[in-house]
Amino acid sequence: MSIFRLAAAHWRVNALNELQYRVNLVVQLFQSLIALATGLIGLSLVFRQTDDLAGWSRPELLAVMGVHLLMGGIIQAVVQPNMQRLMGDVQNGLFDYSLVKPVDAQALSSVRELRIWQVVDVLVGAAVLAVAVVQLDARVGVGQALWFVVALVLGALSIYSFWLILTTGVFWIIRIENIVELFQGVYQAGRWPVGIYPPWLRGGLTFLVPVAFAVTVPSEAMTGRLTPQTMALAFGVAVGLMAVARGVWRLGVRRYGGASA
Amino acid sequence: MIDPHPAVWARDLAKTFRVPEREAGVLAAVKSLVHRRMKDVAAVKGVTFRLEPGEVVGFLGPNGAGKTTTLKMLAGLLHPTAGQAAVLGHVPWKRERALLSRITLVMGNRNQMQWDLPALDSFALNAAIYRLPPAEFARTRDELIDLMGVGELVTKPVRNLSLGERMKMEFIASLLHRPQVLFLDEPTIGLDVTAQRTLRQFVAEYNRRTGATVLLTSHYMADVTALCRRVIVIHHGSLLYDGDLAGLGEQFAAYKTLGVTLDGADGAVAGVDWAAFGEVVATDGAKVTIQVPRASASAVAARVLSELQVADLTIEDPPIDEVIARVFAAGAATAAAGTDGDDVATPSVVEPAATSTA
Repeated sequence: MSIFRLAAAHWRVNALNELQYRVNLVVQLFQSLIALATGLIGLSLVFRQTDDLAGWSRPELLAVMGVHLLMGGIIQAVVQPNMQRLMGDVQNGLFDYSLVKPVDAQALSSVRELRIWQVVDVLVGAAVLAVAVVQLDARVGVGQALWFVVALVLGALSIYSFWLILTTGVFWIIRIENIVELFQGVYQAGRWPVGIYPPWLRGGLTFLVPVAFAVTVPSEAMTGRLTPQTMALAFGVAVGLMAVARGVWRLGVRRYGGASA
Repeated sequence: MIDPHPAVWARDLAKTFRVPEREAGVLAAVKSLVHRRMKDVAAVKGVTFRLEPGEVVGFLGPNGAGKTTTLKMLAGLLHPTAGQAAVLGHVPWKRERALLSRITLVMGNRNQMQWDLPALDSFALNAAIYRLPPAEFARTRDELIDLMGVGELVTKPVRNLSLGERMKMEFIASLLHRPQVLFLDEPTIGLDVTAQRTLRQFVAEYNRRTGATVLLTSHYMADVTALCRRVIVIHHGSLLYDGDLAGLGEQFAAYKTLGVTLDGADGAVAGVDWAAFGEVVATDGAKVTIQVPRASASAVAARVLSELQVADLTIEDPPIDEVIARVFAAGAATAAAGTDGDDVATPSVVEPAATSTA
């Protein structure tokens, strides 16, 4: 598919760019280790008081943490940098160049950037998840792992669509830089299963900002808690958000006036 | 598909922007938070023209005249408020792949190269985006690098190149897919004279080799005179002129310049009552330059020849820069008088051929 070719071509250039700055790898390693340490300390503090948190055991919560790190890595490696570049391009008029290319401008704007060193977060998250799976009493079968991957992809697509809808606001309101901080604050809430929060917050983390589908649902898939209903809902939310994002994108592009026109 | 000929046409193309408006000051800023006052600004007020395949046309006008807006509508970036247009038989703002892979847009003040990498990497990226077959890409790339004379620069990181060198790379990157229509928006802005000349020669040669159609906006008249036989002048969103560059002088220059060199010593110049012929604009030894009304230029020249001992006589249109300045001034005066620019002489606006917009 052309979007993969497009992504591959851009990611190659991104890799060439970032390989020039090895110090970024060191910084990233440091950041990932700090995130890992604070996460583990948080977990141990919780389990010093209790053996189960809203029905989640220690290895299950470790799995949630792994997924949180892994998904956070994906968001910061691909979703966030692309959306930030799109915002900048619309503000300074470089978006013109995306529109004159013979490829879908939304696809192009979504795959141009890759922060390769964020892959460290993805790897650390995967390692934490692996440790959690070993600690789980039940064995994780192929089917379960497959559902986990599907849930992860759907969660990533939901988060991407959510980001795109917010970013597309730049076509109407020129300055929306703060959404990065806003999103990261909310995403931190995904460190715990959304079930532990009060209903009003749970609703917000599920439908307002789809953190529940990005972290909790894949974790449920990995720990054997996923129901077909939840999976169907995750699918519906992902498809729905993608459709809304596409619609808002089209409206935004139609409204785009260029920086100097 | 629409009639593929001409290469580009626009009919009554118009674009109105809705922009927020408020007075200066804190109070007005607070007020605008609650109640936003919007204002319609007509950037382009219905322009009509056509470009034949292979033409290189200069698109002239002062800042804010509507050049870039028109160019962006033709490149498919903006949806017009009214009117129709087609580029290579396609409605541009539908942004069909078949069209986008055959046009290009180069903007002088916008950079799309990868900053930290050699230009060759950016070229490869564009080849992937345009899906160019590797052999064809390599051939075109090498041809363009050779034509631009930048063989030793393409392996240096773009950030280490000068502005002029970067612009040369931008041109190569933008032409790798051998576009048939080029929209060039101030491509030489801020460049030194040598770089400007190189880019002009490059565009002229590309046009000669490929027969591509070029629509060029520039504030440097040297760009226009070097490349364009035809110019379209736009002011306050309306067309003022569409025709030969040479004809622009005839249309808008109210006077001609007579260069008279007298026989004999320098003192001969002083003994002549030049005011009887016209307004003296320069005196240089035995040569006097006078301005005379356009209509009487021939008669004045005949009188000069019969009454004075003339060694040499030239009759010229004023420099094109001056003509353009007069055109813009005329447009501004018309706008100030409360009439639309459309009412100003539009001597040779060509109607597009009857076409269908299926």
